[in-house]
Amino acid sequence: MTAVLDDALARGRRLGLALSDDELRRIAEHLGRVPTDTELFAFDAQWSEHCSYKSSREHLKKLPTEGPSVLLGVGEDAGIVRLGEWNGETYGIVVAHESHNHPSQVVPFEGAATGIGGIVRDVLCMGAEVIGVADPLRFGRLENEHCRYVAQQVVDGIAAYGNAIGVPNVGGDVFIDESFDDNVLVNVVALGLVKEKDIIHSRAPQGSAGWDIILVGKATDRSGFGGASFSSLTLDEEDAEANKGAVQVPDPFLKNVLMRATYAVFAQLRAQNVTAGFKDLGAGGLAGCSAELCAAGGMGAEVELERVSTAQRDLPPEVIAIGETQERLCWIVPPSFTPLLLSIYNETYSLPRIARGACAAVIGKVTETGRYVAKHHGETVMDVDLEFLTGGVRYSREYVLPSVRTESVAERDEAVRRAFPDAKQSPFDLLERILAHRDVGSRAPIFRRYDGVVRGCTAIPPGFADAGVLVPVPGAPLAVALGIGGNPRYGKVDPHRASVLAVAEAVAQVTAVGAAPVGLTDCLNFGDPTVPEQMGAFVAAVHGLAEAARALRIPFVSGNVSLYNRSSSGNHVAPSPIVSCIGTMADVSRAVTGAFKREGSVIGVVGVPQHAYGGSVLAEVTGMAAATLPEIDYERFARACRLVREGIARGLLLAVRDVSDGGILAAIAEMAVAASPNRTLGASLRHYDTIYDVDLWLADDVIPYTDMAVWFAEFPGFVCEMHDWDAFASLGRELGVKVHPVGETTAEPYLRADYRHEISLDQLREAWEAPLRDFYGSAA
Amino acid sequence: MSERVAVVVFPGTNSEDETLRALLAVGLDGELVHWSQPERLAQFDAFVLPGGFAYEDRIRAGAVAAHDAVMDPVIEAAQAGKFVLGICNGAQVLAEAGLVPGTGPLRRPTAAFAPNDSGRFQSVHVHVKLTVAPERVPILAGIEPNAVIPAWASHGDGRLAAPADELARIERDGHRAFVYCDRDGSEVPAPNGSALNAAALVNREGNVLAIMPHPERDAWTYQHLDVSRENARIETAAALAPSGGIRLFEHFARAVNGKVPA
Repeated sequence: MTAVLDDALARGRRLGLALSDDELRRIAEHLGRVPTDTELFAFDAQWSEHCSYKSSREHLKKLPTEGPSVLLGVGEDAGIVRLGEWNGETYGIVVAHESHNHPSQVVPFEGAATGIGGIVRDVLCMGAEVIGVADPLRFGRLENEHCRYVAQQVVDGIAAYGNAIGVPNVGGDVFIDESFDDNVLVNVVALGLVKEKDIIHSRAPQGSAGWDIILVGKATDRSGFGGASFSSLTLDEEDAEANKGAVQVPDPFLKNVLMRATYAVFAQLRAQNVTAGFKDLGAGGLAGCSAELCAAGGMGAEVELERVSTAQRDLPPEVIAIGETQERLCWIVPPSFTPLLLSIYNETYSLPRIARGACAAVIGKVTETGRYVAKHHGETVMDVDLEFLTGGVRYSREYVLPSVRTESVAERDEAVRRAFPDAKQSPFDLLERILAHRDVGSRAPIFRRYDGVVRGCTAIPPGFADAGVLVPVPGAPLAVALGIGGNPRYGKVDPHRASVLAVAEAVAQVTAVGAAPVGLTDCLNFGDPTVPEQMGAFVAAVHGLAEAARALRIPFVSGNVSLYNRSSSGNHVAPSPIVSCIGTMADVSRAVTGAFKREGSVIGVVGVPQHAYGGSVLAEVTGMAAATLPEIDYERFARACRLVREGIARGLLLAVRDVSDGGILAAIAEMAVAASPNRTLGASLRHYDTIYDVDLWLADDVIPYTDMAVWFAEFPGFVCEMHDWDAFASLGRELGVKVHPVGETTAEPYLRADYRHEISLDQLREAWEAPLRDFYGSAA
Repeated sequence: MSERVAVVVFPGTNSEDETLRALLAVGLDGELVHWSQPERLAQFDAFVLPGGFAYEDRIRAGAVAAHDAVMDPVIEAAQAGKFVLGICNGAQVLAEAGLVPGTGPLRRPTAAFAPNDSGRFQSVHVHVKLTVAPERVPILAGIEPNAVIPAWASHGDGRLAAPADELARIERDGHRAFVYCDRDGSEVPAPNGSALNAAALVNREGNVLAIMPHPERDAWTYQHLDVSRENARIETAAALAPSGGIRLFEHFARAVNGKVPA
């Protein structure tokens, strides 16, 4: 046995695997023989951090995953939440959330494009129509030439892929921070629509022994070989060239046809009442996908690798089995259905005509053995126990929870005083600088590069409100909104609180259009988990997510972890828990955007500002030494959300924005600027002293004194344009939430404050639009 | 009985479903016909080429699709006077097929929709205005003079380009059917740098129209709630009703159904 172990170790090292010596030993001991190359690559992928969550799983268990709105929880390629009923059918929204960070750093265009490609397949394989995508992006500083290149190419890659397949982009967010200089974060979220009765599971159905395993899509090639374990490594400059081969090659044209052909297959399965298993090929390639399908169904598999359509002759078996060539999917269907499935892909949708070697082909059979057997021209290249292969390994990594710096009230007050030496200064000088901040400026120059309206189901395209809104069931008023939160400046201050605030932000965004939050997803982007401080930040962030989700009673329905976001120079990314929230609305006619609608409305704030400026845009712009992140009172926040949602549903609100980067005043400026395509509307604001009226704010001590800083405070809350102030304030009293009036809308293109200060909307628009417009170019 | 309309789907087309939905909403009997079934097309009375990236827009936008066998019956029908509407990629295909402006031989385009002056795909909300006399566009039967229609300009190649003499002819002979304008109908510069500020071309007979912006993406009230919302309440049925860009399809339907003499 010692010889076997030595041989296994030597082989593992020769093949450049990410498997540790200990893991190699376990594999050899389990098999009782020297593993084949194909087996080693299969374990390397399957036991990678990317596939097995080996460092994170024990912590992720803490997230709440159940609730009345969940149709399908965590465990398959995507989760499903209830959208609503229409014509006697229950509709669900499928949601998947992933990262494509490592590939996007190495080859940004292809990395970002295949990120969209992969997440779309995750949604498709649940039996759903893909209805929307969104990208949370974290770029390095744009002063850095390589970061500029990455930031341009990532947006181009997303546009090229998403636009071509015809799935609308419903939003996403962008933050820019030095910690992403060497490691861009490209997260992708995709949404799908499926009737509850039509959900297809990623598993071999019961009693499916003898059924066909069918591989559909692009011809297998060498691209993307070793991608799963590559994404679990630290990026090293010297390996940049070598790593490029581990990134897949996108083909949105083929995907467009593949999606439509797959919809036609769905229709036939339903017409004939056939149950099937379906899963996309991602990390771990064909072997990973078909193994997980069969393992999930408690079955086994026997595949013949030479039946796989390949782009080159003589591909070695390990590349056919493990390579991560894009645009492929795997079906398990009864043999009686196989001819129809093959003819839909190969003839009606003529895959072989669309791309060389693309097709649907039977490559194996489901067995009852519980083993995964792969043969290549008769030679057995893989024969492993499925549970052992897909069960993976678990690690309890050491971690050190982050210590969070605290500041005394006196320190905080002193910091605020220093930042505002002149109490009489105009808030608008500062507002201009705040709006021009890299994380506040208009994202429209990016959104314009994406098609946000293809499919004709978009009610609110990205950028017009805090959340994009789709109306996915033709003829039905049911709407779905997507919000995204995750501020890296907060992450650096306190990963736990940053997670909480990311959940609050995503929830507030869907609330601001009138939707009810029904499900959360997360992608946890962190540094090297073998560094205890980095692992500690991860653990703290998971605690924060769990706490917020439990308190707000919104389950997590899918998620993803991306570790090792660290460069060879030791630069870890800011702890980046990125959260998306699915909101649903029974009636789209009530949805509101973030643009002012008419003259003379009262502008009100819902929620309580806090003197907490840690990680805020204000702190960064003024150089304020602030250390505390905003706090959240969950019960009060939930009531504020309910008030806003009720207010929208009853037609009492005309426009809403959540208070985020840049605070109340930035939100008001954006609401005024956003009105301009349809009407000219400014605002007249009350003196900032008056907003501390103790009668009007809830009687708490969060705001102990008056000053201008509060206009820029970031806190979980909303700015609303009220259609009916009396009715809304009274609804607020009913729900126990104070609404504070801070000004009125006017018909003039200015913001005015306190009869002394004013600024034109043109000036504000220029400040707000210039930063990214100058970088991404203006489009009209 | 309504006339039958084929929505022609090429590999790479991506706007077929919403285009079909708009046709059904105006009472037309529409159906998707895929590239692998060209033989089915002869039985249709009118044709719509929807948006997307047919054949990946290889060579030039719409160029490969214009040479696809599935276009043979469409070209034949256009020459026989049947109505053919191309939207976005469909408009590019019609230009590449030589059907608009239709001043040269078939499949030898005299004008094309070239890459936007920004060099990039862009998606912006626009309005377009009819700039020819309504008699000039029998494919939009009953359309009023200077009609303004909202739409989304979502394309990478929407800039009309042609030699100077061809552009002069397009303008002089009334091939430039629509220009870009604001919501009140005042002309504004095209978002893509299009020559003559053109948003759409029509052939000499007025039965083939190629329009770059997508009216089917702003065809329901819920897609432009902000325009009409000064009072917060909009009835559910009203929000789901067709409005805005649907007008282009209403006029197309009247033409196809022959309700208004051309």
